[in-house]
Amino acid sequence: MSVTALIALAILVMLAGGFYAGRARAIQAVEGNTVRLHSLPNYHGYYVAIWTGLPALLLLLAHGMFADKVVENLTYAELRREASSLNVQLNDAIEADGAYESLRTEAVQLRGRAEAISADIQRLRNATGEDRDPELMDRLEAERLDALNAVTAADEAVLEREGELIARVAAEARAEGAPVRALAGFEVSQAPREQRQLFLADTLNIARGELPSRESRELVAAASIATRHQNQLRFLIGGMALVVALAGLARTRSQVEPAFRARNHVESLVTALLFLSSVIAILTTVGIVFSLLFESLRFFSSVPVSEFLFGLQWSPQIALRADQVGQSGAFGAVPLFAGTGLITLIAMVVAIPIGLLSAIYLSEYAGPRFRATAKPLLEILAGIPTVVYGFFALLVVAPAIRGLFTWLGFDDVATQSALSAGLVMGIMIIPFISSLSDDVINSVPQALRDGSYAMGATRSETISHVVLPAALPGIVGAILLGVSRAVGETMIVVMAAGQSANLTANPLESVTTITVQIVMLLTGDQEFDSPKTLSAFALGLVLFVITLIMNVVALRVVQRYREKYD
Amino acid sequence: MPDNQSHSDSIAGAGEAEQPVKVQARDVCVSYSGKQALNHVSIDVPDRSVTAFIGPSGCGKSTFLRCLNRMNDTIEGARVTGSLKIDGLEVNDKSVDPVVLRANVGMVFQKPNPFPKSIYDNVAYGPRIHGLALSKDELDAIVEDSLRKAGLWDEVADRLNHPGTSLSGGQQQRLVIARAIAVNPEVILMDEPCSALDPIATAKIEELIDELRENYCIIIVTHSMQQAARVSQQTAFFHMGNLVEYGTTEDIFTNPRDPRTQDYITGRFG
Ligand SMILES: Nc1ncnc2c1ncn2[C@@H]1O[C@H](COP(=O)(O)OP(=O)(O)O)[C@@H](O)[C@H]1O
Ligand SMILES: [Mg+2]
Repeated sequence: MSVTALIALAILVMLAGGFYAGRARAIQAVEGNTVRLHSLPNYHGYYVAIWTGLPALLLLLAHGMFADKVVENLTYAELRREASSLNVQLNDAIEADGAYESLRTEAVQLRGRAEAISADIQRLRNATGEDRDPELMDRLEAERLDALNAVTAADEAVLEREGELIARVAAEARAEGAPVRALAGFEVSQAPREQRQLFLADTLNIARGELPSRESRELVAAASIATRHQNQLRFLIGGMALVVALAGLARTRSQVEPAFRARNHVESLVTALLFLSSVIAILTTVGIVFSLLFESLRFFSSVPVSEFLFGLQWSPQIALRADQVGQSGAFGAVPLFAGTGLITLIAMVVAIPIGLLSAIYLSEYAGPRFRATAKPLLEILAGIPTVVYGFFALLVVAPAIRGLFTWLGFDDVATQSALSAGLVMGIMIIPFISSLSDDVINSVPQALRDGSYAMGATRSETISHVVLPAALPGIVGAILLGVSRAVGETMIVVMAAGQSANLTANPLESVTTITVQIVMLLTGDQEFDSPKTLSAFALGLVLFVITLIMNVVALRVVQRYREKYD
Repeated sequence: MPDNQSHSDSIAGAGEAEQPVKVQARDVCVSYSGKQALNHVSIDVPDRSVTAFIGPSGCGKSTFLRCLNRMNDTIEGARVTGSLKIDGLEVNDKSVDPVVLRANVGMVFQKPNPFPKSIYDNVAYGPRIHGLALSKDELDAIVEDSLRKAGLWDEVADRLNHPGTSLSGGQQQRLVIARAIAVNPEVILMDEPCSALDPIATAKIEELIDELRENYCIIIVTHSMQQAARVSQQTAFFHMGNLVEYGTTEDIFTNPRDPRTQDYITGRFG
């Protein structure tokens, strides 16, 4: 068992001990007459236990989370110190090297030339009238491109020369029998950033006893340094945790006395815990929203908002090569909004009547026996994974619809159509609407029904004139929740509605939705800063705003309803 | 039947011969899922007067009221036997449509229950479902008339389109009374109409009941002896499903014959 685990165990034992110590001391302080205590003995126990265990365990937790990073930094710093004399040697070698110097000067000169050409181009671009010379402009552009290529080549040459010098210094040091750790330090301090990170990651892997991506003498040497830091840190934190636990135990135990308000202290600790949990929940939400927002802003820096929101063509292409200008695709999201709207509309046309009527039947007509079986069954419908609905739509509903409409004389009925996706999505949403509406209808006070019956109204008159108006806000809330489900639904549409961004109102055509496009944009290997991938965040933001608005409205409506009948 | 004699005693108890009998009950029994709630109740309630039903909770007062407009039909497991006539017509007869009956026998409940509609639509509810008004003007007239009779017109005339639930408790109860009046009932049943109201609202309702007495046969259930004494001309005392004593209010309160009645009105049990 590792030292940390042992210490954690010890702290848990102390925590339990602290509970009994606090309890016992409280009882002893009043000689068993616990009525004289301000708080029940258990509260004294909790109080001591919490202050014994909590800070120490938090310390261990922090150690577990951050130890690797700390060890890595300490190891890196030590490796650099080890390599300081070799680094000085390298600097000397570079300064003494004529070839390096001339390469550097050349690179600087080339850069100056490129900048001069850029300035010329800028001047020409600002010029007006006769001075404007397109031919000259083209020639200058070509020259600038050449100059930039030359700069890149020169920079590479400088780096290459530097690499040679590094290798030479390292070889000399090895030949002179320099310590391995100094060589390791030299390697890690002279390597480019990615290689340095890889080296340090491998070092820590070896120190942890895991398999590194490669092995070398230098890595093993560095790992031994890391192991030392790891152990030191482990013992330091472990010791601190034990001290903190003991101090907590001693201090809080001494606080226990009859008048001590342990109950209130425990209460405020519980409050703090609850607060912390909600803060975590809120922060996560805020974090997600902000990342959506920032990535969307990056997208909108390459594609204007107006084009995205009002453009009629959606064909996000990715440029295959960096110099392929004009290949960034069209990002007009209107076809997606229209597709989402069409499918949602079809789904609600199915779900609202069936859901509402079944809710009315269940709550007003069905006997208790039927209700007791039918309602759980409906709720099972809500528990079917949407991917199952998806292949139901694809394999059963879509062929049936195609068959039906072909038979009716329509030609070119797509296999994947808005209609099949919408129908199945509607079926998926029925239980939401019926179950929520049923609850709402049931909570309409019986007194209202009695009042209506006593006026001589029949049952259906009572339902349509009294019960439904009373339940209306709640029903609207249920419907809005259903709509936001439909808008956000992905699996069914991916499978049954297709991927072509047609701008159409014809339910027999294949359409695509916001969610489907997000899936399409982000699946497969993608670079993460092309407009194509970033547009997924913008779509996500739109989706988020739509559902947010609907949920807020739904909650408002339901709330207004509650105020009235509680 | 062994108790034939006993109830023939209690039938004519009201004694006020000026008004014709409106509601006539003979041997009415009610059970809920086999549990007896009302035992052989026989009573004659005169028209154009207020009859108070008093008695401890659970003694069957509401149950008896619900027999009069067949609201017991809506309760599962309720069984009603015996003869119950309004204007000589058998209420429990198969040929009687409860929907029509209920238009004729209005009911006001303990807790005001205005519908989630405007004040106007609340009152217009009955006339609309029964098709009592042929034009909008006629409906307006019915609504105004009913609200006036319920003493609410002056308070709500300028906000007829406000929701009924926006009124105070006492106003809501008068709105419900107006709603019942709007379909021209002959009998109005009130089941503890004031128990959710403050004393001032209660006084207004009592005043209203006193005015309505001119035109309707009113039966009111109440737990307040003072209220029964103030508003009613006849009082019936129920106890454990039995009608124990029935007579003029004055007789019942000054000269109760049954010891149980005496105990109840003097507050010794209940
Ligand atoms: N809906 C019902 N289902 C079953 N039993 C009922 C129902 N309503 C009333 N009862 C029973 O009938 C008896 C009389 O009730 P009720 O008429 O409400 O009394 P009261 O109105 O005088 O207080 C009580 O014992 C009560 O439990
Ligand atoms: Mg009652």
